[in-house]
Amino acid sequence: MKIGTPKEIEAGEARVAMTPDSARALQKLGYDCMIESGAGVAAGFADALYAEAGVEVVDSAEALWSGADIIAKVREPQDSELARLATGKTLISFFNPGGNAEGLEKARASGANVIAMEMVPRISRAQKMDALSSMANIAGYRAVIEAGNNYGRFFTGQITAAGKVPPAKVLVVGAGVAGLAAIGTSTSLGAITYAFDVRPEVAEQVESMGAEFVYLDFEEETQDGAATGGYASVQSEEFRNAQLAKFREIAPDMDIVITTALIPNRPAPKLWLEDMVAAMKPGSVIVDLAAQQGGNVEGTVKDEKVVTDNGVTIIGYTDFASRMAAQSSTLYATNIRHMMTDLTPEKDGQVVHNMDDDVIRGATVAYQGEITFPPPPPKVQAIAAQKKEKPKELTPEEKRAREVAAFKAETRSQVTLIAIGAALLLAVSLIPGMPASFMQHFIVFVLSVFIGFQVIWNVAHSLHTPLMAVTNAISSIIILGALIQIGSSNGLIIFLSAAGVLMASINIFGGFLVTRRMLAMFQKS
Amino acid sequence: MENAFTIAAYVVAAILFILSLGGLSGQESAKRAVWYGIVGMAIAVLATLIGPGAGLSGASIVLIALGAAVGYQLATKVQMTQMPELVAIMHSLVGLAAVFVGFNADLTINMVSAAKEAGDALDGTFALLVAKKTPVEIGILRVELVLGVWIGAVTFTGSVIAYGKLAGKVNSAAKQLPGGHMLNAAAAALSVVLMIAYLGGAGSWTLLLLTAAALFIGYHLIMGIGGADMPVVVSMLNSYSGWAAAAIGFSLGNDLLIVVGALVGSSGAILSYIMCKAMNRAFVSVILGGFGGGGGEQMAVEGEQIAIDADGVASALEEADSIIIIPGYGMAVAQAQQNVAELTRRLRARGKEVRFAIHPVAGRLPGHMNVLLAEAKVPYDIVLEMDEINEDFPDTDVAIVIGSNDIVNPAAQDDPNSPIAGMPVLECWKAKQVFVSKRGKGTGYSGIENPLFFKDNTRMFYGDAKASLGELLNRIS
Repeated sequence: MKIGTPKEIEAGEARVAMTPDSARALQKLGYDCMIESGAGVAAGFADALYAEAGVEVVDSAEALWSGADIIAKVREPQDSELARLATGKTLISFFNPGGNAEGLEKARASGANVIAMEMVPRISRAQKMDALSSMANIAGYRAVIEAGNNYGRFFTGQITAAGKVPPAKVLVVGAGVAGLAAIGTSTSLGAITYAFDVRPEVAEQVESMGAEFVYLDFEEETQDGAATGGYASVQSEEFRNAQLAKFREIAPDMDIVITTALIPNRPAPKLWLEDMVAAMKPGSVIVDLAAQQGGNVEGTVKDEKVVTDNGVTIIGYTDFASRMAAQSSTLYATNIRHMMTDLTPEKDGQVVHNMDDDVIRGATVAYQGEITFPPPPPKVQAIAAQKKEKPKELTPEEKRAREVAAFKAETRSQVTLIAIGAALLLAVSLIPGMPASFMQHFIVFVLSVFIGFQVIWNVAHSLHTPLMAVTNAISSIIILGALIQIGSSNGLIIFLSAAGVLMASINIFGGFLVTRRMLAMFQKS
Repeated sequence: MENAFTIAAYVVAAILFILSLGGLSGQESAKRAVWYGIVGMAIAVLATLIGPGAGLSGASIVLIALGAAVGYQLATKVQMTQMPELVAIMHSLVGLAAVFVGFNADLTINMVSAAKEAGDALDGTFALLVAKKTPVEIGILRVELVLGVWIGAVTFTGSVIAYGKLAGKVNSAAKQLPGGHMLNAAAAALSVVLMIAYLGGAGSWTLLLLTAAALFIGYHLIMGIGGADMPVVVSMLNSYSGWAAAAIGFSLGNDLLIVVGALVGSSGAILSYIMCKAMNRAFVSVILGGFGGGGGEQMAVEGEQIAIDADGVASALEEADSIIIIPGYGMAVAQAQQNVAELTRRLRARGKEVRFAIHPVAGRLPGHMNVLLAEAKVPYDIVLEMDEINEDFPDTDVAIVIGSNDIVNPAAQDDPNSPIAGMPVLECWKAKQVFVSKRGKGTGYSGIENPLFFKDNTRMFYGDAKASLGELLNRIS
């Protein structure tokens, strides 16, 4: 089968979905490759390079769309392109299926299969074809470069013969892929970087990149990123207020602000309000990576760079990836190639569109004349769900009820034990002819057992060995019995008592001495 | 035989003993508590010696001095790792003394009745006391002395065997004569018959025979219990020695003996209970010996044990910030506690957090590890109990297991068919990395394969614990 890549018709789009390198890899999968003449020029790949890689270069878009079975492109297809789809063809591209119902319907009507690159599920296995991440990575990097381009000072602090230069302070809002890339770029340029995200669990990632996480003074049930596939979701009003207050507090200190906060299929949240922009120093730069969906910053103009009255530059470009077309084309073409690898299990140049595969099913938005969007939730959770450790908070009434119940149970068990004990005592005393002298001793015995149980439960675990040595020593109290008996007229009795006295006294001295030795060793640090 | 003075002294002694046990609730108060015990004992012995009850005081004092010399030798020479043996052998002395005192009581009864028939005069305070008793009281006295002798005899042989096993002089595996528990049951039944016969006046030979049966039970019962259950056995024997003293106290009509016997008896019983709970086993099943069979096939362990050398462990320790050391019986056997302590000191000097996790049944005696670590001058406030530290493993960089096996076996949680299923264990495998210092690839005392050794984050540091740690110390300054 043939894979073809047309020239992007969107104005200003410089990326291309196939590079000479990716074409070579695709040919290894058994495919023939086609490219529209001039498609790669803007990204730095001339037709000759493709031809050298064994790619058929065709002159017109029409020839390409009709000749290729699989069309790989970058931007969401326009009407003229959708019109060229037909049954049996497969389109692999960004598609924006959530906001492009009309295009989806047209694609369905054409009977072609459509794989939308932004719908690749966020699971480990599919990372190699996650074009959103690879593009976001570039956007994050480029955002810092654009900011630097418009910021009239150094990023890194220097002390030079001509004076001291303070380092730039950069705030990155949203620590997704783009945010992390921005953080990494910014710190490696030497700026002091701060980062914020609504998901506190990413603080570790942020700190690992060398930035400082900005914590809010806010107590709320933290959201579980796993439930939303690793994306942030909408916040409560209180949280938002706390967040804005924090931004307001740090805005005057920041030289560069890069906002990357996007919530899937929603307008971008407004996080950097007019007063914060106004509070910034003249010459500061804001890069709004969310401009495509309305922007995080009040005052962002999509696709444009504006300078506010107080001299703050706000950059609202949406084509950061395209601005680095050579890099982004390489990565995107690799994503496409990995997608093709999954679609070609036999490596025989034949597409097997396996709708039971989580990744392929998730990314397919139109299949054999039917719309297959949105996909069912993936079977594999993107991120392991956080362990829910905290037991449910009990209301005061519940607590009270529980305490009362515990108290009652304890009372019941104690009363039962006492009753059993009393009954046993009574039973002993009722044995016919039981002398009172025995009962006196018996009471002493029972009380001692009782005291023993009360006392021993408090003994520290670490002192169990000394406890045994001490009890061993004092159980030699049996020496008293031997001492009493030794004064007898019977020789055997004297002998046995003497042996008893000897053994017991060995025990007494040995036991106490060894206990003392052990206890002397326990030291505090 | 007791006048007001001795009774008063006994009350003081009893209170001192209670305070002595109560003081063991903390390390600092324990140092005072042991003095309470010593003073209590001194008061009790002195009061008996100078009281009207005793005869032959001079000989007694000589014997006590002799005992003191032997006891001093024992207590000062013993290695801390040999503590379990020492405690076991001391229990046997109490048991034997109880047997002798019981015999004496029987002899005295016979002597008194013979003297009464002959109309002779009696001497000896105990004989005079017995002479005053009514026939019913004599009967009760006999019940008490039989119990004392029986328990004392079981304690004696049981402790001797426990000593042998702990000292390595007797094979520590669970072994029984053919017939197993039937033999024990038969001996117990015989004891009951003999006791009835003795009480019925059959004569002293029944008492001797009964003693023999009890000696056999003590021997056979403990032979049938494996080495890993020794903490329970030792504390159980501790308890028995107390009950024996209490029974003798009844027969002699001595309240102090009763009080102390009951204290020791209940202390041992509670210790046994704590140990059993720590192993998630019923007391009866420990006593009957051997691990109860599980309800099915044990999970097969997959993977292989990956070895590591001292360099690897050293570099991992260099990088770690938090370290938990889990010592077991293997550390005691190898006498490695000094090296462990030195390693701890060096790591702590570098600002690393080093702590010890002690399983309740680590070692062969309750609290065994604490004593060993204390001997090596490891501060006790970094030595923590299982419940205190178990939740900290996920945040720990390195866990070092030194000579423990069953107490760190994840099968207790994962494998419902494992013989140790449900036993609380130290979850060291949740640490980022686990090093296991172990002599070879063998299984633990329970004979169960340990899946911990096959985990991805586990590395086996083979060799004698003392030597291995010594090598480690050469690499960490």
